[in-house]
Amino acid sequence: MALIDKHPELARYLSEFEWFKFLREQTLALSEIPEMQLQVKTIDSLLKMYSRIIDAVENDKPFLASYYCLAPEIYTAMDLPYYMVMQTPFLASSVPYLLQDIDAAEEMGLGNDLCTAIRLAIYYVEANLSPLPTCALNLLYPCDGAPLLHEVLKRNERWRNIPMFAPDPPYYADERSLEYFAGELRRMVKFIEKHTGKKLDLDELKKTLDNSNEMYRLWDEYNQLRRNVPSPHGWGIGGPQCFSQAWVYEAGTLQGVEWFRKLVEIAELNVKNGVGPVPEEKIRLFWFDLLPFGWVFEFLPWLESEWGAVMVMDMFANFPYTMIDTSSEEQMWLGLAKRNLFDSPMVRQARGVADNFANDIKRIVKDYKIDVVIWPGHMGHKDGSATVGIMRETCRDLNVPFIHLGLDLFDKRYSTPDQIKDKISQFFRAMGLG
Amino acid sequence: MLVGGCDVGSATGKAVVMKDGGIISWEIIPSTTKPEVTARTVMNKALEKAGLSSITDLDYIVGTGYGRLKVPFANENISEITCHAKGAQWLLPTVRTVVDIGGQDCKVMSLGENGKVLEFVMNDRCAAGTGRFFEAMARVLDCGLQGLSELSLQGRNPATISSQCSVFAESEVITLVNEGMDLADIVAGLHASIASRLNSMVRKIGLVEDVVLTGGCAKNDGLAKALEDKLGVAVKKLPLDPQIAGAIGAALIAAERVSKRPVKAVPGKEV
Amino acid sequence: MEAKIKSKVFEQFSKASKTLLNPVLRNWKDQGGKIVGYFCSTVPEEVITAAGLVPFRMRATGSTSTEESDAYYSSINCSFPRHCFNLALIGEFKFLDGVICVNSCDHVRRIYDNWKRFVPGIPFIEVMSLPRKTEAAQVAWYRDEINLLKGKLEKHFGVKISNETLRKAIKLHNETRRLQKKLYELRKQEEPPITGAETLAVMVAGTAMPKGQYNEMLRELLNELRGKSGPGGHRARIMLVGGILDDPEYIKVIEDQGGLVVTDSLCFGTRIMWVEVDESLTDPVEALARYYVSERPSCPRFYGEHDNRAKYVIDMCREFKCDGVIGERLMFCDSWLVEHYMLGQDLKAAGIPMLKLDREYITGAVGQLRTRVQAFLETMGR
Repeated sequence: MALIDKHPELARYLSEFEWFKFLREQTLALSEIPEMQLQVKTIDSLLKMYSRIIDAVENDKPFLASYYCLAPEIYTAMDLPYYMVMQTPFLASSVPYLLQDIDAAEEMGLGNDLCTAIRLAIYYVEANLSPLPTCALNLLYPCDGAPLLHEVLKRNERWRNIPMFAPDPPYYADERSLEYFAGELRRMVKFIEKHTGKKLDLDELKKTLDNSNEMYRLWDEYNQLRRNVPSPHGWGIGGPQCFSQAWVYEAGTLQGVEWFRKLVEIAELNVKNGVGPVPEEKIRLFWFDLLPFGWVFEFLPWLESEWGAVMVMDMFANFPYTMIDTSSEEQMWLGLAKRNLFDSPMVRQARGVADNFANDIKRIVKDYKIDVVIWPGHMGHKDGSATVGIMRETCRDLNVPFIHLGLDLFDKRYSTPDQIKDKISQFFRAMGLG
Repeated sequence: MLVGGCDVGSATGKAVVMKDGGIISWEIIPSTTKPEVTARTVMNKALEKAGLSSITDLDYIVGTGYGRLKVPFANENISEITCHAKGAQWLLPTVRTVVDIGGQDCKVMSLGENGKVLEFVMNDRCAAGTGRFFEAMARVLDCGLQGLSELSLQGRNPATISSQCSVFAESEVITLVNEGMDLADIVAGLHASIASRLNSMVRKIGLVEDVVLTGGCAKNDGLAKALEDKLGVAVKKLPLDPQIAGAIGAALIAAERVSKRPVKAVPGKEV
Repeated sequence: MEAKIKSKVFEQFSKASKTLLNPVLRNWKDQGGKIVGYFCSTVPEEVITAAGLVPFRMRATGSTSTEESDAYYSSINCSFPRHCFNLALIGEFKFLDGVICVNSCDHVRRIYDNWKRFVPGIPFIEVMSLPRKTEAAQVAWYRDEINLLKGKLEKHFGVKISNETLRKAIKLHNETRRLQKKLYELRKQEEPPITGAETLAVMVAGTAMPKGQYNEMLRELLNELRGKSGPGGHRARIMLVGGILDDPEYIKVIEDQGGLVVTDSLCFGTRIMWVEVDESLTDPVEALARYYVSERPSCPRFYGEHDNRAKYVIDMCREFKCDGVIGERLMFCDSWLVEHYMLGQDLKAAGIPMLKLDREYITGAVGQLRTRVQAFLETMGR
């Protein structure tokens, strides 16, 4: 393939593209279940973005390396495709070469106590396996890993001449912080305009944010439906897909709105019929992190089939959002600052003080009638693992069982699926659940 | 010129006596709880074998290994990293990567042309990939260390051992035995997982041929084969017992101290 | 190479590095003085001094367990905050009148959340928001942060911090920096009169007593050392690079193998004193903001500064004629892991040998450290 020869840095990206095409054609598209058909649409959004990036590389069009929590509606409004240097771990559940890549990262000298997602991203950058963008928006939050990855990126010989901008995160959640971060976002846009030749039209931004607001309104409706007992959906569809539509591939697009409309429709039907992912919902659980994408099929289906344990809520399905006021430019910037810095998943818990670890648990346990709170304890969440005392105390006050597992969301060798199953089974039994 | 090298490890003590650039005797004994006692005992045995009557017959002695600070008769102590590298390359001058598996640690050294260590990486935090681990497995499977090696070579479909920790790996192995899996496949899987770890360590400092194994576990042919499979290159055999590589290196350095110049590589010269 | 310094004042410094509440500090407290602990070298000590309080850099010296803090932290957290928080839980920090935390890293920043909720009795506990970048907008943000801190200290301790008192405090702290730099200059000699371990004791003591007294004592020590030479006998001159290292014993193990530590880039080392706060600016808060965010040698917490940090290490090595660099980091520290990964490549390109070491906050497992350092010195042909 001539493209790979000219652009060897596309190798991994193209493999992922081919893999998801295969998944779509060979498995999901063959199912008639409405949820599966919606999954097809989810993957179509992914494939569309991948195609745009590949096209941009091939035909020298501008594109960005950025992140979900750096106001993706702006990129939609500017008609700029973007990809995440850290995306592979998020998509990991289907990627066949994941363990090889993790080993390669360790061999590079990155040890094994740094977050696997960060190690992988550093490996891809250093091994020239990440597309080289027109310009890069570097993430400096929520955790130490983020600025470190980008320090490596900045120094890398292939990336060092690519223009970069990194919005600086304040540590608090007050008005002053919002103003400060809104200022960083404005500077970010000026930077993107300068290096891509595209301009941000405020009317376009308003339209995009209005679409985005509609998506979020529908998402809220959907989450309300998940409060139902039994919950209309479990781990199979929900958080990760909503997140990928609203934050990653369809931020503020009409297709995104349509997708959410369909999701609400399907969920409403399930609620009407009183059905969910398992014949008998015995345990309603809150998984307070990303799904274990590296080994999701070896663990989550078992939770449902073995224990009737339904993942009613997870970190990325969490809905703390308010609508962005699009009536003035000022309000749009502040709204974007709030959504990306205070509300976006994982960022809202890990970026600043620990309050949201407690607040989110309190709200979710109450709203979703949660029977057990699980802190998966991913090996990369150093700040989260220093918050277990606070989470435990919060759960004690709510009289709800809490378990801290200790695992690697991407590397199943760290704590094997069998070990985790044992741990959870013992816990459920001891708590008299299921 | 008569010199001695004494390698006091956690599991075994080794001593080598060299005369004019060639080995005249060597000995390996199980370690006692007191490194000084181990050192004296193994050195005396080696001297006896060499037909010498006393430690004072030696012009210079270098101590190495985990207990190197407790070799009372040593003129000097040198790290086992330097000694294993030196000894291995004296035995096989084409050596450039040494994988040393000791009683309770394992390390990889990359060498330059004159036995000089360029880089090294050590694992001394956990038992995985060390002599202790193999002993524990031999106990669990009731087959002895030689048995482990043989079984490993017979395995046709090596099991996948996913636990990184040797304690958990032991549980995993017991589970597989109870499930009726073929013992040879289990043991082959164990060796494969250890070889993976060693491979990872080798890659960290870069693989350059020739590669050799030193230390007690080097005599495990199953491990050597598993390592070859992972590295994709041959693991060469040393002409003498690989367990004494450290003591040889120590003796060579002793010789350098006396002659005040580097000892030329006289491959595996045993007098 | 045993500590050869026979000096009463050095004994006091050494004692201060081995304890938390040393005699000088205890004396200050007994006379009604107040002490405010702080958790990162980017907290502007000068503001604390200007408030009439003594700033105390937090350490967990002497901690023997994390039994209590294990309920709040996890096995994948750094041992430094685990030990500090343990001491807080068992009441060892009762001598503090306040604590200032910073979002320095993922492990230490949670001390604020945990201490606030679970350690009763601390009368004043605040957190500061430290930027990740070092550009103008970030200096401005931190200037506001420092002003906010000033206001909070004034309110709680019932004091007024005028620009005049702040300028005086800056002068005093700059004097400390100047004196400490003089101490380091002595180590440029072929046979330095003070070892790395001894120097660390002096530097740690500087964060644990009123600066005025410390400066006097340090002047005395400098007088004693002037014109003196060390015993020599070392195999190599080493630069030590890393984060929170406050235990001279750790450096002693390195030096016992023959690697004399002659300079460093450490939290208790050159990074806090190699550069001074600009006394010429009219606004002292602006001067402090610039100093702490962009002027002082940075640590890997700051993004976009790696090239400068690498240059700092290489230049320092040449200036002090170092034969090699030892980079240490605490287990589970992401910042220094990645920094050493990059620095290793930079040093290789510059032809400077580097050894990377992992450690725990409380120095143990000396055998392993000894072996690695010895092997490193041997590979350098020394």
